[in-house]
Amino acid sequence: MAESAAVARSPIAPTPPVAIENGWEVSARRSAADLRITDCTPLTKLLVLGPEGGVFGIPFGRAERDEEGVLVAGSGPGEWTLFGPPGTGEGLAGRAAAALPPDEGAVFDLTHGRAAMRITGPAAAAALARVCAVDLAGEVSPDGAAFRSSVAKVVTDVVRDDIDSQLSYLMHCDRAFGQYLFDALLDAGAEFDIEVDGFAGPGI
Amino acid sequence: MMLLPCPHCGPRNSSEFRYVGEGTARPDPGTATIGVWRDYLYTRSNPAGWTTENWFHRAGCRRYFTVERHTVSNAVRASHRPAAQARTTSDPEGLSAGTERGPDAGPG
Ligand SMILES: [Zn+2]
Repeated sequence: MAESAAVARSPIAPTPPVAIENGWEVSARRSAADLRITDCTPLTKLLVLGPEGGVFGIPFGRAERDEEGVLVAGSGPGEWTLFGPPGTGEGLAGRAAAALPPDEGAVFDLTHGRAAMRITGPAAAAALARVCAVDLAGEVSPDGAAFRSSVAKVVTDVVRDDIDSQLSYLMHCDRAFGQYLFDALLDAGAEFDIEVDGFAGPGI
Repeated sequence: MMLLPCPHCGPRNSSEFRYVGEGTARPDPGTATIGVWRDYLYTRSNPAGWTTENWFHRAGCRRYFTVERHTVSNAVRASHRPAAQARTTSDPEGLSAGTERGPDAGPG
């Protein structure tokens, strides 16, 4: 990328040291703590609206990775959120549009309009339960569960997306609430010694 | 805390919802008198008992739905998506029944 290229910034202030990753300013801090929080805002985030019943074969409430590693979450009735690596918005939007029936539905790139973050570690459910009323027990919210609810009073989309069988929740909310939600989750995780872990591509 | 069963999302804290109001039948604009319109707009039965009302799941699926709730005990005996009929009653635009999104729904 040329020196003069624009740098995208998350609404969440990066914890030093700061680096540039795929055109985004990110924290390059690395943590191996038991409970970690990562600002995942650089991820490509698409909202797809289409006929209820499953454009991608994924119902409301479930999330799965497609053959190219894109995380497709059924985030509402007739509504899907697609998470891809940073900088893949255009190609992903084209693929999403192609999956819709002709003249039906819409695709929106919300990458710069939403803040995304992930908390990972064995205590992730206990920390999240401090600020979210939805039952996070394994049988109610298993790996691949997707829902929208109030998290620390912010309307937040939550996807349980375990990493290498480690408990992990990927969340996104309106960009303006990003720093607040991040701070609220740091606060909720304080008793579990949560640490900031910087974003590293592809990140999904 | 009061739990409301959303037909899409399951039971959630009532703070996630917006109360829309009692379900009322929209009069026929061709024949309704001023008195009938006034009743439609302002008069509610407000029972101490079972009532049928509409709610909007603001912090969840962003859909309207219909609930039968007991106003004294807050017990809920039915919760369902609005019937197609709802388009001509409390929801003339059919916002609650179809794929349209409600006035409170943001893009994401
Ligand atoms: Zn709902």
